[in-house]
Amino acid sequence: MSEIQLKPIWRWQWTLMAGIFLLIVCAVAITIGPVQLNTIEIIHTLLGRETSLSDQERSLLIEIRFPRVALAALVGAALATSGAVYQTVFRNPLADPYLLGAAAGAGLGATIAITVARADFYPSLPIFAFIGGILAVIATFLVAGRLYSDPGSLLLSGIAIGSFATAVQTFLQQRNSDVLRPVYSWILGELTVADWSSVRWAALYIFIALGILFSVSKILDALMLSDEEAFSLGVSPNRIRIIAVCAATLATATAVSVSGLIGFVGIVVPHIIKRLTKKATNRALLAIALFGAAFLVLADLGARTLISPAEIPIGVITAFIGAPFFLFILRTRSKNQ
Amino acid sequence: MFRRKEKLSVVFIAISLLFSSTVSAEAREIQTKYPLNIVSAGFAAKLPAKPVRIISLSPSATEIIFAINAGSQVLAVDDNSNYPANVPTSSLSGFAPNLEAIVALDPDFVILNKDSTKSDAIHKSLTNLGIPVMMEEAARNLSDVYKEIRIIGKAVDQQVKARKLIVNMQKRIAKVIESSKKVKSQSFFHELDNTLYTATSKTFIGNVYRDLGLKNVADAASGADSSGYPQLSAEYLIRSNPQIIFLADAQYGESISTVKARPGWHSIAAVKNGRIIELPADTPSRWGPRIVDFYELVAKSIK
Repeated sequence: MSEIQLKPIWRWQWTLMAGIFLLIVCAVAITIGPVQLNTIEIIHTLLGRETSLSDQERSLLIEIRFPRVALAALVGAALATSGAVYQTVFRNPLADPYLLGAAAGAGLGATIAITVARADFYPSLPIFAFIGGILAVIATFLVAGRLYSDPGSLLLSGIAIGSFATAVQTFLQQRNSDVLRPVYSWILGELTVADWSSVRWAALYIFIALGILFSVSKILDALMLSDEEAFSLGVSPNRIRIIAVCAATLATATAVSVSGLIGFVGIVVPHIIKRLTKKATNRALLAIALFGAAFLVLADLGARTLISPAEIPIGVITAFIGAPFFLFILRTRSKNQ
Repeated sequence: MFRRKEKLSVVFIAISLLFSSTVSAEAREIQTKYPLNIVSAGFAAKLPAKPVRIISLSPSATEIIFAINAGSQVLAVDDNSNYPANVPTSSLSGFAPNLEAIVALDPDFVILNKDSTKSDAIHKSLTNLGIPVMMEEAARNLSDVYKEIRIIGKAVDQQVKARKLIVNMQKRIAKVIESSKKVKSQSFFHELDNTLYTATSKTFIGNVYRDLGLKNVADAASGADSSGYPQLSAEYLIRSNPQIIFLADAQYGESISTVKARPGWHSIAAVKNGRIIELPADTPSRWGPRIVDFYELVAKSIK
């Protein structure tokens, strides 16, 4: 296993293919929607030429459909990449953005925004989610204490913090049954109300986080083998771990805050890419980001068209594909060992 | 031929006699006789005597009890029961009822919503402890509302008031519906939250709009879920171009200005013409006496 991973070749072909796949998926997603629009007119509109689309159709395309596809791509890239990084840092193939309690913490933050803070704070839901996610990760590190560099301890404390956050969230929901619907629909995950301002906001943080992750990915390869390996490269394993986890959490919390809890992207995508490329996670990080973006754009296409004009929560679609896949990985691994 | 007609008239007289006798029988039953057996939402209950320590775990039922002058018989109501102003709101949850907390108050009649957590088990336990429970189902239409008022009226021995309330509601609603017939049909969107969850004409609230001759843009998605509360695509909503928007989520911070600011919504007729109605809290979601107020409010806004 280590032999394959140490090959210092970056197979750019896979990255290129993932990029082309993403472009095709985005093109399809922009063309198809609950409202039928002429493909040629769409292309004209995007190129800024004159079209026969009505004002309403134009605004529908530019202000509703386009940002939604963009947001799906951003969130998908963020979740897949941070999933891949968590898996490397904790040397655990089943680790994902939900692991450190980040998602549960963000969920709690959003619930607090809706239930306790009430009407005045309703528009600030993403900020609450973000704060919740970051606080949960800090709590996870504090609980793990000096053992934070031990993957096992960190995993367990992440699970404990996640359960705690979920418990508080459930309690708040029970005490505020009148706002159950907004909390519930947010938890299921959705991109239904994506707009350009949320795209800009999410893009800023996600690009910062992904930039950091790409730049440390080579060192992460060494970490995948052993801490000694990393030391021999002249880097402090723990510092890299903290940087990587913080960046991945930033990406996750941003994704969660704009789209709710969308599960399994962080597991499914890295594993598919790793199987295809036979590469260590980090060597394929860019391909994982691009493919993650494509995966979520496709899932969202399903969410908005399968029972159109109604919506299916996107979290339901990703979990529907992801959960069986998760079990498949679990079984094939247990057979190998 | 002639004989047959005679026979028919005899039958008619017999039938009308039968009717008049039942009416007078009903009149005699204006005072509830205990022990009383009631059946509601498929659950039976037996009240040994007139209840004077009632716990209502449903805001709708609470409003009904107080509207028929039985408020003095109420011991406590759930945490969401906030109308009328003088209700004895407690910390009891109607959403996830706590058996011990209910029993500790020593009630002699409990009204429980069927949609609450483990309502079956709570019903069974309370019944076993000798506390009669009326299981209440969310109303699907007006006749469900009247039925609930009738059952509660009988159970709390306020049948005359219950009947008066029903007649009054029927009159007011008939008047509103009559007046709405003069207005030509318009399309609308009823917003439950800002992620575009809505209610189709299948729902209780959807019925109100339909009664008033309005056209629900969500009906195109009525096949999406069994209960009639689908989530609409923003694209579809903009294309469907509703003439009026009703904000049932005004209590959660949505308003005319937040709707106007949503991307792409400026092209919707309701937004262009400023026909966005911020609905008051609770009235659209309760099937109590105040549903009439909601009818009147909607009727006023479509003129």
